[in-house]
Amino acid sequence: MAAASVVTDAATEVLMPGSEDEAIAAFGDGAEVVVVGGGTIVLPDLTYRRRRARKALMLGGAGLAGIETQGSRVTIGTMTPVQELVDMPAPLGPCAANVADLEIRSQGTVGGNLCAREGYEAPRGDLQSAFLALGASARSAANGDVTEEPLEDFLPKRRERLLLGVSFDEPAAGAFAGLDRPHTHDYTALAVSGAKGTDGTLRLAATGTGSWGVRLPSAEAAAEDPVAAGEAALEDVSPHDDALASAWYRTKVLPVLVRRVLDELKESA
Amino acid sequence: MNLTVNGITHGVDGRELATLLDVLREDIGVTGPKAGCHQGGCGACTVLVDGEPRRSCLLPAGYADGTEITTVEGLGTPEKLAPIQQAFVHHYAAQCGFCTSGMMLAAHAYIDRGGTDDHDAIQQALGGHVCRCTGYSKIIDAVAAAARGDSFDLTTTAVGKYTTMATGGGE
Amino acid sequence: MKVVGARIPRYDGVAHVTGRTTYVDDVSVPGTLWAKALRSPHHHAGITTLDTSKAEAMPGVRGVITWKDVPLLEYGHLSALGIPADEPLLAKDEVRYRGQPIALVAAESEELAAEAVDAIEVGFEERPALFDVREAFDSDAPKVHQWGNWYPHFEGEMDRRQIRKGDIERAFDEADTIVQGVYRPAAIEHAPIETQVCQVVPEANGRLTIYSCTQALYFSLGVVAAHLQVPLNRLKIVGGTTGGGFGGKVDTATETMACLLVLKANRPVKWRWTREEEFLCSSTRAPWHMELATAMTKDGWILGQKMLTLHDAGAYARFSPYGLTKHSFHHTGAYSIPNLHFDGYVVFTNRTPTTAMRGFGVTSVSFAVETHLSRVAKELGLDPIEIRMRNANRIGDTSPNGVAYTDPSTIDTLQAIADAIGHELPADYRTMTNEPRAGELLPEHLVAQVGSTEGH
Ligand SMILES: Cc1cc2nc3c(=O)[nH]c(=O)nc-3n(C[C@H](O)[C@H](O)[C@H](O)COP(=O)(O)OP(=O)(O)OC[C@H]3O[C@@H](n4cnc5c(N)ncnc54)[C@H](O)[C@@H]3O)c2cc1C
Repeated sequence: MAAASVVTDAATEVLMPGSEDEAIAAFGDGAEVVVVGGGTIVLPDLTYRRRRARKALMLGGAGLAGIETQGSRVTIGTMTPVQELVDMPAPLGPCAANVADLEIRSQGTVGGNLCAREGYEAPRGDLQSAFLALGASARSAANGDVTEEPLEDFLPKRRERLLLGVSFDEPAAGAFAGLDRPHTHDYTALAVSGAKGTDGTLRLAATGTGSWGVRLPSAEAAAEDPVAAGEAALEDVSPHDDALASAWYRTKVLPVLVRRVLDELKESA
Repeated sequence: MNLTVNGITHGVDGRELATLLDVLREDIGVTGPKAGCHQGGCGACTVLVDGEPRRSCLLPAGYADGTEITTVEGLGTPEKLAPIQQAFVHHYAAQCGFCTSGMMLAAHAYIDRGGTDDHDAIQQALGGHVCRCTGYSKIIDAVAAAARGDSFDLTTTAVGKYTTMATGGGE
Repeated sequence: MKVVGARIPRYDGVAHVTGRTTYVDDVSVPGTLWAKALRSPHHHAGITTLDTSKAEAMPGVRGVITWKDVPLLEYGHLSALGIPADEPLLAKDEVRYRGQPIALVAAESEELAAEAVDAIEVGFEERPALFDVREAFDSDAPKVHQWGNWYPHFEGEMDRRQIRKGDIERAFDEADTIVQGVYRPAAIEHAPIETQVCQVVPEANGRLTIYSCTQALYFSLGVVAAHLQVPLNRLKIVGGTTGGGFGGKVDTATETMACLLVLKANRPVKWRWTREEEFLCSSTRAPWHMELATAMTKDGWILGQKMLTLHDAGAYARFSPYGLTKHSFHHTGAYSIPNLHFDGYVVFTNRTPTTAMRGFGVTSVSFAVETHLSRVAKELGLDPIEIRMRNANRIGDTSPNGVAYTDPSTIDTLQAIADAIGHELPADYRTMTNEPRAGELLPEHLVAQVGSTEGH
């Protein structure tokens, strides 16, 4: 039998923590550590040599999966499979259902989705918009220090920290609108999530308009008039060309998706 | 780590980060799962891990430690084909055959979790599996037939008569 | 009939569903090395330096090959027909498409082979590249091929495939309307689920056994023997089990280079392309550029057709001249056109070399002709099915290359289509047959078109 990639494995230190504390310790300052969540992005990256792993931190046994609800506060562990969100209310449920196919959703995790690096040819991290719209906070660690901060603040640092979980308050209403995918393997070219908190706060966010999910503050400010809000959303993004769609197309479609989300939120309110 | 593949337990060391696909094919020598893309895009490598379909090219082998893995070789034998295998033969759902094992395992799991012969539901369940030969309709017909519990008369496909290139050629 | 309409079990059906079919990648031979290729990152460039010494010195590396190791560097896919070759097995001083192989490494693991490929030092001098077949045909386009930008070796050293039939000028003079159109189907990747793969094993008797996924076993055998300059009996090829091909596994893609690595390392070698390689540099169906002008009478007879076809061969000729020849023979589609003027060129660009795919050369022209006929019908205000039926080939009508049709089925097909889509046909169209033309269906301009079916 061919010796296959034994050499890589020998050169890679594989860390398999058995608890959250062990995971935090193993992550250390994160230098040279490749975190493996479900592995649906990391493994192809390693196979195709787009990424090298000196140390691989495999989170599968660290007990970081699960959804907990305390009162109206929902906490989702980083290792929770995307598939487990599918039946949750909008924007999370429909957004999760739009990720990949059943097999990949069952293995890919919430943390891996939120921490996905910018794609090589396509955007990834579809759940970002849903969690941003929910005003989620992210609990993460580096150098043994655990902090909780708004997801928006965490996303730019996601390569330097170990995500442990996200939490949010159940919204009063939520909505999701994404471009149809011709095939379950397509990443969603563009999607918008919206949620209204029990205190009346409205949040809108998009994925597919840049390197990662973004809030749409201008659209939020104009939300009373969904059509105007749709146009205003264009001020919050700088759409790009990629394999999935052109910047031009995204510019045309974003206002439509924003309008749909706002209309749906109105209906459900 | 210990991987139980089609009922036989194998100890494999130092391969936690390798894909389950490579470990099955190269370390254990089970070649039913195919390396079609090594990036989750085609479904030819799908196996059942504790009964659930997974892309073995995306799954770090370390995550399969202690699980029961079923590949196409574990579904049934030529003498005793599983219903989904009979359905694929009967409906000509395998043409070149390269996507077939992944297709059948995903279909088998679909039927196992109560899937019906509804075409849309079948398309959803197999949505991540690519076939370039059949145009899918025969595959969907086969899965629907197996889901309904149709019985298949395979007497015209006498077992043992059909061998392939590497096992010595035609009949 | 024993077979038509009967349930014939597939001979490999049970093997496929039980995982017992042995594809090339499933052949396991102890001591097998993995091959990886150094491929051009550029679409068009001169190679200024090539140094494999660092790669060769790496632990686990058992062999590196470059153009210097190929006994006969250039051997064309049509060389057996006496047509000159244009493509080196491994690039020598120039690369002409992105992904073109420059060197190959055999090493103890796939990973080591890939690392060794990275250690090969190669220098390039980039050159202008062409991606559009029409632009490549411009007289001031940069030159991308040693033969000029199109293939010059058709019979009689013609630089094109040409067909002349009847009196084209008269047809266009007498036409009520001339309808023109340009049709440009794009390249298509075959995307078989099994990527290109071969495994070559040195046997004790000095032979090489080649396990290959090729669709063209004996063709590959000849190509390998020619490059290696060995008699055919030094090679044994095992195949017939292909994980999807669709024409994309007709070109000899892997076998020759793997054999050379085996000769160097004296160990079995497997070369399996990644999906990325398959998309980047396995051959595709060609892009085509087709210009059509049709001389029509106002009641829907096709008097004549002029056509210019540019067939994108990509960087090298391979089978493209053959594909264009088929294209030219079929360029009237299913219709009888008495006056023809056809010029077809096999044009070189800096795309991946193109090849057969399901109806080599013919699908492109069917697309053009059918789209064009619908356009003609629209411009004339005629029914698109009736215009097709009127001009459809009948028994005895001749093809562009002079073959009389003995069994055309266009009429029945169109009647079935009309039924299937609920399209009303007038009574005389309903009862039309494929029988030889007569009466109203044999207008003067078609009289000379009817040939003899005898002898065919
Ligand atoms: C065919 C196919 C289709 C897909 N379609 C979609 C789609 O439609 N939408 C979509 O969004 N995605 C899609 N994906 C991408 C991917 O499957 C999902 O995004 C999945 O949720 C990623 O999760 P994971 O656990 O597998 O990530 P992993 O591969 O484990 O990790 C992804 C990245 O996050 C980092 N990471 C993981 N966990 C943590 C953590 N706890 N802390 C810090 N960093 C971490 C990893 O180092 C890596 O950089 C698709 C993938 C495939 C193969």
